[in-house]
Amino acid sequence: MSANLSPPTASETILELQHVTKRYGGLPAVDDVSFAVQRGEVLGVIGPNGAGKSTMVSLIGGSAAPTSGKVLFQGQAINTLPPHRRAHLGIGRTFQLTQPFTGLDIRENVMVGAFFGRRGLSRSQALHVADEVLARVGLAHKATLKGDQLTVADRKRLEVARALAMDPRILLLDEVMAGLTPAEVTDAIELIRSINRDGVTVLVVEHIVRAIASVSDRVLVLHHGRKIAEDTPDTVLSDPKVIEAYLGERYAKQKQAEKDPAQPASEWMEGLA
Amino acid sequence: MPRETSSTASNSPVAGSGPASGDATTTRAGRGWLWSLLGGLVILGGIAAIPTLGSDTLTSNWTIITMYIVLAQSWNFIGGFTGYSAFGNVTFFGIGAYAVAVSFLSNPKVISPYDPQRPQQFFIGLLAGVVISAIFAFLIGLPTLRLKGHYFAIATLGTSVAVEEIVTQRDVAGSGGLASPPFPPLSLHIAFYYGFVALALVCLLLTTWLARSKFGYALVAIRENEQAAQTLGIATTWYKVGAYVLSAIPTAIAGGIYAYYSSGFEPATVFTSSISVTMVLVTFLGGSGTVLGPIIGAIIFEYASQQFALSSGQATSVFGYHFGSDTLLGVAIIIVAIALPQGLVRVVQEFTRRPVAGGAGASGNSRANQFVEGVRRVRKFIAANGI
Repeated sequence: MSANLSPPTASETILELQHVTKRYGGLPAVDDVSFAVQRGEVLGVIGPNGAGKSTMVSLIGGSAAPTSGKVLFQGQAINTLPPHRRAHLGIGRTFQLTQPFTGLDIRENVMVGAFFGRRGLSRSQALHVADEVLARVGLAHKATLKGDQLTVADRKRLEVARALAMDPRILLLDEVMAGLTPAEVTDAIELIRSINRDGVTVLVVEHIVRAIASVSDRVLVLHHGRKIAEDTPDTVLSDPKVIEAYLGERYAKQKQAEKDPAQPASEWMEGLA
Repeated sequence: MPRETSSTASNSPVAGSGPASGDATTTRAGRGWLWSLLGGLVILGGIAAIPTLGSDTLTSNWTIITMYIVLAQSWNFIGGFTGYSAFGNVTFFGIGAYAVAVSFLSNPKVISPYDPQRPQQFFIGLLAGVVISAIFAFLIGLPTLRLKGHYFAIATLGTSVAVEEIVTQRDVAGSGGLASPPFPPLSLHIAFYYGFVALALVCLLLTTWLARSKFGYALVAIRENEQAAQTLGIATTWYKVGAYVLSAIPTAIAGGIYAYYSSGFEPATVFTSSISVTMVLVTFLGGSGTVLGPIIGAIIFEYASQQFALSSGQATSVFGYHFGSDTLLGVAIIIVAIALPQGLVRVVQEFTRRPVAGGAGASGNSRANQFVEGVRRVRKFIAANGI
């Protein structure tokens, strides 16, 4: 299923969360979550609505600080670093609700990523990077449109392009496929694979289980803020706990009774996306 | 920032091919900034020529207009580029004015009006005003720039009221803050005029630089989407504070020149929030975040305001109400907020904008058609942004 390159043999942790908890008021959005991302892999994160996926991305990206626990990037604790410092370290992220610079054109949107995410680029160098990235994500022909003139799919592309322009070591993709047509999802998967082939570690947060399963080396499942599974896509998607989280207890038991391992879990889960 | 559509970048639709022309320097209106700069230079050149007409009234009127150009230009850094509606920038104006007054008063050795040390006192005061304002902007900006929208506006409005109160209570430069320092009579009255013109020129160059520099891009990115800006590696806090300090400095210098020009003032005149409001209004009238907007807005509004004050001075009353220039301020705020939130410069840009190639090319080539198309675009533009 995971046809892309397996992680490098000498696996090396690039990002690690240690017992990370984030509470809003009394309610934990992320509850004692620990996991590690290996350099070069694609880690998928799935979970039902409100599972804490986006919060987790924010904790890594820096727009939220954990209530307790540690976030380590390349061995360095980054808990207290503001988002721009994390960006300079090589953490690029996209937003579930796209955040374009509406008054700037698409080319300038991406150029900002290259200009500030990297060190020492001149204006024209940054523009050059922007043009390259735009061509890569398939937005080159829309370079002169304004940030608010794009379709949903293109807005998501723009999010990815801006983050890519920073030349990140790890890319956090927060639901870049939500709201896309099946054809657009296929494009997006292809893009993620090609980004990963270039050596960028990718953390994909997604609702669409099929997409995640096909692009990830490993999948992590969040439910009510807790990690309930972490393994290869196939193993995770046939895990009763995971099925239960998505479809409820009764369905899980029924499924268990049928014991039909021939049917990959991703197929029935697709109906949910 | 002038924003026409750049034509070179739209020619590279083929994925995988690099930029079409290899010219990676065109963006944000291509050469638009150059035209803006030229336009600004022409306007300021025209203003510089006014004293040669020999009319004292005209010169003194335009001294104030030019002062407002500077104030609007400097407000544009924080309000226009960064999108933070500072409603208390008059604080820096007042600080600049009082720094000059205190500087003249603080040197007891200088008694005679013709003491050669006098001009020196002026520049010391100016420098002190700049330094104090910059530090003040830094200290105030650090906490208040965490606030968004209305809250920032209210907080900054509060600072000007607070500083005015302090100056009054502490009897700075005189009892109750009433300052009438022993300014030596300047034989060259025109010096004030050219002081403001020079300041406006510096601000024009600064704005043009800002419209194209990395610093400027950071500010615009913050204005357009602060969260995204942070995520892309922009140290938003420092850039915002930087923009605030940058807007404080020319304002303080203008205040210092005004102090000398006015020869005597009180806290209520140099800390009045109507100066703050005027900075905001004229910048929006002309086009906030643009190079020419503050200049054009200040000229139109202040000129109209002076004409209005002049005629109302001759007892123009409607329905028994005596209209003053404050009335004009109020009416102008309403009109700008409702019909022209994007400002005149952007409306003109919309009018002259070449239609996107391949777009609805219904218009012929004749000038009349282009004009009609332009008017249509402007009407759409106003409809989209105002009423």
